[in-house]
Amino acid sequence: MRKLVSLLLVLAMMLGVSAAFAAETTIVGTPRNETLIVEMQNPTQTAGQFSPMMQGTNMGTGIQQLLWGNLYEIDTVKGEQFPSLAAEFPKSNEDFTEHTIAIRQGIKWSDGVDFTAKDVHYTMNLMLTNPEAPSHGYYQQIFESIDLVDDYTIKIKTKESFPLLAESIGVLIWGNDLRVVPEHIYSKEENPVMFKNSNPVVTGPYTVKQFDELGNWILYELREDAIYSDVGVVTGKVPKAKYVLFQTFGDDATRTMTMVSNLVDIMVEVSPENWEVMKTNPKAAMWYPEYPYALFDDPCSKGIAFNNAKPPFSDKNFRWALALAMDFKEVSMNIFDGAGRASVLQIPATASMQELYYKPMEEWLENFELEDGYKPFNTNYAREMAEILKAQGIEVPDDDALLDDMFGIGSWKHDPEQATKLLQKAGLELKDGKWYWEGEPFKFTCNILADTEAQAGRGGQAAVDQWVKFGLDVTPVKMTHTAFTNANSLGEFDVGAYWPSCAIIRNLYRQINGWDADLIKPIGERSSGGNGERLNSPALTEKIHELARYSSQDEKSYEISTEILKIFVEELPFIGFHSGTKFVPTNNTYWTNYPTSENPYNGPWWWWSAFKYILPHIEPVQ
Amino acid sequence: MKAWKYIGLRLLTWALVIWIGVTFVFFIPRAFPSDPVETMISRMASMSGSMEATQVEALRRQLRVQFGLEGSLWEQYTTYLRDGLFGFNFGPSLMNYPTPVGEIIGRFLPYTLFLSVTAVIIAWTLGNIIGLLAGFRKNKRSSKILEGIAITIYPIPYFIVALVLQIVFGFILGWFPMTANILTTADRGAFIASLLRNSILPAISLLLVGTGWWIISMKSLASSVAEEDFVQYARYRGLSERRIGASYVLRNSILSQVTALALSLGGVFNGSLITEIIFNYPGVGKLVQQAILSSDYNMILGTITISIIAISTATLIADLIYPFIDPRIRYS
Repeated sequence: MRKLVSLLLVLAMMLGVSAAFAAETTIVGTPRNETLIVEMQNPTQTAGQFSPMMQGTNMGTGIQQLLWGNLYEIDTVKGEQFPSLAAEFPKSNEDFTEHTIAIRQGIKWSDGVDFTAKDVHYTMNLMLTNPEAPSHGYYQQIFESIDLVDDYTIKIKTKESFPLLAESIGVLIWGNDLRVVPEHIYSKEENPVMFKNSNPVVTGPYTVKQFDELGNWILYELREDAIYSDVGVVTGKVPKAKYVLFQTFGDDATRTMTMVSNLVDIMVEVSPENWEVMKTNPKAAMWYPEYPYALFDDPCSKGIAFNNAKPPFSDKNFRWALALAMDFKEVSMNIFDGAGRASVLQIPATASMQELYYKPMEEWLENFELEDGYKPFNTNYAREMAEILKAQGIEVPDDDALLDDMFGIGSWKHDPEQATKLLQKAGLELKDGKWYWEGEPFKFTCNILADTEAQAGRGGQAAVDQWVKFGLDVTPVKMTHTAFTNANSLGEFDVGAYWPSCAIIRNLYRQINGWDADLIKPIGERSSGGNGERLNSPALTEKIHELARYSSQDEKSYEISTEILKIFVEELPFIGFHSGTKFVPTNNTYWTNYPTSENPYNGPWWWWSAFKYILPHIEPVQ
Repeated sequence: MKAWKYIGLRLLTWALVIWIGVTFVFFIPRAFPSDPVETMISRMASMSGSMEATQVEALRRQLRVQFGLEGSLWEQYTTYLRDGLFGFNFGPSLMNYPTPVGEIIGRFLPYTLFLSVTAVIIAWTLGNIIGLLAGFRKNKRSSKILEGIAITIYPIPYFIVALVLQIVFGFILGWFPMTANILTTADRGAFIASLLRNSILPAISLLLVGTGWWIISMKSLASSVAEEDFVQYARYRGLSERRIGASYVLRNSILSQVTALALSLGGVFNGSLITEIIFNYPGVGKLVQQAILSSDYNMILGTITISIIAISTATLIADLIYPFIDPRIRYS
C-alpha cells in the first residue's frame, strides 16, 4: 500500500503537474507569509478546551507549546534545565525538605496583569488540594505545603527529603503538568478544574485567535506585548510569525502531498519512505541535508527489553547471548537503512549524553568483560557501517570523530560462537541444531508494537530475524499499544521491543528510578509504576536509593549515575539499539532558520513545551 | 388483531436485539487485553519519557476513581443500562476526561450523517434506476454500457478510488482540498461553502463505489423478475414497457433493496472510517477506531450503542413499512 502511494506520488511529480501553487492565504484566511503552519499530530476531541487544569486537554496541539509556561524548561542541546517562569533553581535546606523558589519578574499575563508568585502558589495549591486536578495524587504524596512568601517568592515544604524538585515540577521531556494558570482568572471560577478556558489568558507568546470545533486546527496569534511573555522576558526576543496554525493533515499519503505542495512548514515525524517522496520538493529539509537526514537526539533509545523474572530470561548469560547473537549492523540496516546512533548504555546516545556518558565511558566499555573474560564491545562499529553504506553509494564522512557522532562509539559484537556458549551456560541445550530448555524445545515470543513507533517496531522485527537466523525459535507478536502496555505491566511477556531507556539530563534518577527492585510485583500482578521488566538487582537498587539523596547540581549524582550505567551493562536487562531516531521535516518556502545539524541551537521538538523557545529563531523567507 | 401481533412481535425483537447488542458491547471491551487507566498512564509516561513510580501509583488510583472503574462489573453494567441506554448519558470520555461522550459524539455525528446519508440515498436512487434499466432492458446498448461501468468500478477497493480522487483532484489539479478543514466557526454562508467544498471528494468516492453495488444487485433482481409469468402476462395484455417496468418489475424488485437501504442508513452511524482517514473528514468512524485502540470504554459504549439502536430501528421501520409496499405481506 505504502509503495503504491509512493509510486502514484512520484509519477505525479514526474509529470510535472504538482499543484505546488503558492496559496496566498491559509485555510483560515490568514496571510500565508505571516503564518507558520505546524502539523498537529492528531485532531483534538476537546476543541475549545485550553485549560491545563482540565485533565483531558490535548496539550500537544500548540497549547503547551505556545500558551502556558513552566517554572523550568529544558535545553535539549545541553541536556540541562533552565529557569523559565522561575528566576532561579530552588534553594533548599540541608535535608531537602524546605525549598524556596524565586519567581521571575517582568512577565505579564496576556491581559496585562503582572505574573507573580501568587499565580504559582495558586496553581500548585490547586493541584495539591483538588482531587480532579492533574498530578493531584503525586502532589499529595510529595508536598506538605506551598506557601507564599512575597510577590515573587514561594516556599515549598516536602513530606520527605526531595532533592529533585526542579526536575519534578519543571520540564525534562515533552512537558510537565505544572503549567501555571492566572490566579486572577481561575480563582473566580466555581470549579476551576472544570473550567475549559476557551479564551485563555496566558504567559506564553501567543493567544488563541480561532479554533475548529471539530478539532482539526487551532490558530494562534502573537501577543502584541509578546516581549512581556515568558519567552520575551527570558530571551529578550519574540517570535517573528504573527500567526501559528496547528493543523492536522490525515494519513501518511496526504501528509506527504501536503509537504510537497508547501501547505505545511513543520511536520512532526515521518517515515523514511515518506521522506523519499517529500524530498522531491527542494524546499523540504531534514536535520541533516544529506544521508542520514534524521536526527538521533530523541531522548529514549529503542531496543529489546527482557522479562527478567521469567527463566531463562532472568539469567544474564541468556540476555548477553541474545545480544551477541544479533548482527547489529544488519539490525540497523533493517530499521532505517543504517541511520541511527548506537546506544549500548541504558540511556540514549543523544548528542548531550554522548558527551556526558558515552565518550567518557568508552574506555570502560572497551575493557568490559563478561564472567568468562570475553570482551563484547565492538569499537569499530561506526567504520564498519560506513563501509556498508559506501558500498551502496551513500556518502558518509571518513573522519573517525564524525563517524562516532553519526553512528555512535560502538555496538555489541556479533559473535554466534560466544552466544552459543552463553546460552549453554544459561542452561539451554543444543541438539541437532535446535535449542532446548529443561528438555523441551525452546520457543519464545517477541512483542512488537504494531500501531506506533516505527523505530521500535522495525527494531523488534529485525531482532527476531537475527535470532531466527541464529537458530532460535522466536515468534514476533504484533500488538496495539494498549495491549502491549498491559502485557508489560502484568509481566506477561518474554521479550518486547520498546524504550525503557530515556535520559535527558546528567542526573539519571528521574528516568532510572523505575528499575528499583522494591517495585517488583509477581508476574500476573500489575507492576507498581516501575520495573515492568522485573529486574531484581540489589546492587542497582542500592545505587538508585543512593542517587535519590543527591541534587542534580551535586557532582556525586554524576558519579553514581555512571556507576548505575555500568551495572546495567553487566546485567543487560535491555539491549539498546539506537537513540531515538526521528525524521522531522521542515519546509523553507515561507519560513527558514529551523534548527538543523548545521545550526543546532535546539532540537526540532515542535511537540514539546520548549517549542516556544525555538520560535524566535524562525525567520520569514521574504 | 393480526396487525397488532405483527407490530408487537417486531417491537419485542427490536428491544431484545438492542439489549443483547449493548450487553455485548459493555462486556467485550472489558475483556480486551488492555485497560484505559494503563493506556492513559502509558500515554503520559511515553510523552514525558518516564514517570516516577510514586507518581504512577498515585495517578493510577486517581484515574480509577475518576473513570468510574471502582465498582463491581454488575454495578457498572446496571449504571450503564440506566444512564447510557435509557438516558443517553455515557459519562465522560476516558481519554478526553472529563468531556462527556455525548458532547463529542454530538459534535461529529452531524458530519457523518450529512456525508453518509446523502451518499447512501443518492447511490441507492441512482443505482436502482440504472440497475432496473440494465436488468429490465438488458439488450439495450445503454444498459450494457452502464452495467459495464458498474461492474468495472465496483470491484476496485474503496481506498484506491478515494486515493486516486485525492491525488488527481486534490494534489495534481488542486481543485479540491486534499484534507477536509471545514470552517465551523465561520458565518453560515462560508460554513456551508466550506462544508460542500470539503465534502465533494469524500462523497464522490462513496458514491462511485456505493452506486456500483446497488446497480449490480438491482440488475440481478430486475432481470429475474422480468422473466416472471406476471410480467409476460402484462406484455400480452399490451401494457407499455414503461408501465411494466415501473409497476411490475420495480415494485417486485425493490423490496429487498428497501431492506438493504434501511440497513445501510442504520449503518451510517458507524461512520465511514476509510473516508474519514484518507480525507481527514470529521466523523464518528474515527471516534470508534480511536476509542477501541485506547480502550475508552465510555466512548465505545456511546458510539456503538447509538449504532446498534440506529440499525435495529432502521430494520424495525423497514419491517413496519413492508406491508404498505408489499400487499402480499399486508394480506398475510
